[in-house]
Amino acid sequence: MSPLRPLASQDGETMGELFHLEDVTKVYKMDEVEVRALDGVSFAIQRGEFLAIMGPSGSGKSTVMHLLGCLDRPTSGRMVLDGLDLLKASDNQLAEIRNAKIGFVFQQFNLLPRENALRNVETPAIYAGARRAERVRRAKELLERVGLGDRLFHFPSQLSGGERQRVAIARALMNDPAILLADEPTGNLDTKTGEEILALFQHLHDEGRTVVLVTHDQRVASYASRILHMQDGRILRDERVN
Amino acid sequence: MLRTTINSLSAHKLRTALSVLGILIGVASVIAMISVGQGATYDIRSRVESLGADLVTVSPAFRVGRAGVASTQITETFTLELADELSKAPAVRDVVPVIQTNGTIKYRDRNLQTTLMGVTPAYPSVVNYPVARGRFFSTQDLESYAKVLVLGSEVAQQLFPDEDPLGKEVVLERAGTRFLFTIIGVMTSKGQLGFGQYDNRVYLPVTTVARRITGDRTVNFYNLRVASADQVDEAIAQVEFILSRRISNPEDYRVRAQQDIIETVNQNAITMTFLLGGIAAIALLVGGIGIMNILLVSVVERTREIGIRKALGAKHRDILWQFLTESVFVSTLGGVMGLLMGVGVAALIASFSRWPLIIPSYAIFLALGFSLTVGLIFGVYPAARAARLDPVEALRYE
Ligand SMILES: Nc1ncnc2c1ncn2[C@@H]1O[C@H](COP(=O)(O)OP(=O)(O)OP(=O)(O)O)[C@@H](O)[C@H]1O
Ligand SMILES: [Mg+2]
Repeated sequence: MSPLRPLASQDGETMGELFHLEDVTKVYKMDEVEVRALDGVSFAIQRGEFLAIMGPSGSGKSTVMHLLGCLDRPTSGRMVLDGLDLLKASDNQLAEIRNAKIGFVFQQFNLLPRENALRNVETPAIYAGARRAERVRRAKELLERVGLGDRLFHFPSQLSGGERQRVAIARALMNDPAILLADEPTGNLDTKTGEEILALFQHLHDEGRTVVLVTHDQRVASYASRILHMQDGRILRDERVN
Repeated sequence: MLRTTINSLSAHKLRTALSVLGILIGVASVIAMISVGQGATYDIRSRVESLGADLVTVSPAFRVGRAGVASTQITETFTLELADELSKAPAVRDVVPVIQTNGTIKYRDRNLQTTLMGVTPAYPSVVNYPVARGRFFSTQDLESYAKVLVLGSEVAQQLFPDEDPLGKEVVLERAGTRFLFTIIGVMTSKGQLGFGQYDNRVYLPVTTVARRITGDRTVNFYNLRVASADQVDEAIAQVEFILSRRISNPEDYRVRAQQDIIETVNQNAITMTFLLGGIAAIALLVGGIGIMNILLVSVVERTREIGIRKALGAKHRDILWQFLTESVFVSTLGGVMGLLMGVGVAALIASFSRWPLIIPSYAIFLALGFSLTVGLIFGVYPAARAARLDPVEALRYE
């Protein structure tokens, strides 16, 4: 498995269904209390879409993202990615999907605190088994692309919020994933930095990636081709824009 | 992968150092203990062996409690004459009857409590213990009840710190009676033998002791030299046969070959080595538990890091390896350092005790193998716990 294959050869078809969710629920059990974070969610995501998910706090946006990111499995329902039934997939299969197909940008950046920027970006390729020289070359390239070519050996604690976010994005792109997921990528950033980041996502979408963003910001949503409005663990409205 | 290990270990230097120390102490004590056991054994064995493997000792059995009666009967049989009888055994070359008693030896203003050994001229050759200076007493001395004696090296040194003892007259005092003796020789130094402190004794003709000092012809034991080393069993059988005609109960006397003593020493040594090694192994175990403890803390502390790694595609196996590598790295580092320190301690003890430094190769393999195993065993549980973490749960961890 070569993690650094060129994007073009990754999926021959640019159209078609990527994710398919049907009556998906997610229930968190805390002692006696059950929290229905998702309560019968059905939708599909096409290849190459730019989807924004919006909704009030606690509506289940992050929960959906975790499911899309294969970090978690639904409690019930049906969920298919690229023809693979995610409820039946093994932990290792999910790990492979996370590694090869999905780039996840977290709200809190989630950088490895004891590794420098370069190592952070390299990490997905380490788990993909890429050779060191190739890894380092590509990680440098990506950091340069997000404008951090002079911050390779800085540790997360030595970087600003925007810089950390860009390291996180570079890391998400390391294995050249077809899907890019970002949970409130601009939530912690000032307006200007936020716009730079969004422009970057726009650009990544233009390159052919499927992008899903969670946001509170109406402006952010304007980049998207489709907006999913959520409330109380359900989809309130599925809105096509542009 | 190793880089990740070193990174996370160096993030907690003190903690890592303490884990290493735990294993280090364990391994060092295993090595040192085994080496001390081996060195001590070698030392005792070489001293026992220096008497010669073909030495046989005949002595009355120990009797406790009602000893008086039985013991007397036997000692009555244990006489100088029995020595001649025993020397008729074909497989026996020499028999030395030994009368052992305590006395004080005086020279000018110095005096020394010592053991008087009444023996025969064959004694030096029988127990492999030659004279250093002067001469041992002769058959003539024996027959004439000569008042001559030979000093053990320690006695000579203490009584004559800056004089030549040869030819000097000394006073032997026992039970209030004094005798004047002439020193004719000094023995070589034999070193301490646990039970037999050869160097602290004085050697005189057994006939002189029997007639002039104790006034009693009974003997404490006999030292026998076998004609050749492969005839030990034969000699013992012959001696037992001769004794059985004199003493009805075979429980009343003991015929022991030096070989048996060597074997006993070896047996004891093995027991001792394993006991010491066992105690040290417990130290190693404690070190292992220390590693586990610290790894468990580290797993909890790094829950979020584990979540991130899993989110980036780390499999169960990758996380397991990461933590196992850390634990094995720590235990192996401790093992190697412990090995060096153990050898150092063993060398120090050996040089103080003046015995050879023996570190059997099995001890090295044992200690290193054991520390590696400790690292694996005590690393597996924390590593498995880390690997099992649910990615979403782990990412939520503050
Ligand atoms: N691990 C969990 N255990 C219990 N309840 C949870 C867990 N994760 C989420 N929830 C609950 O599920 C609901 C949806 O949470 P989610 O994080 O998806 O909301 P959100 O839409 O992302 O909110 P925000 O905009 O504040 O990030 C919330 O009520 C939350 O308390
Ligand atoms: Mg959220």
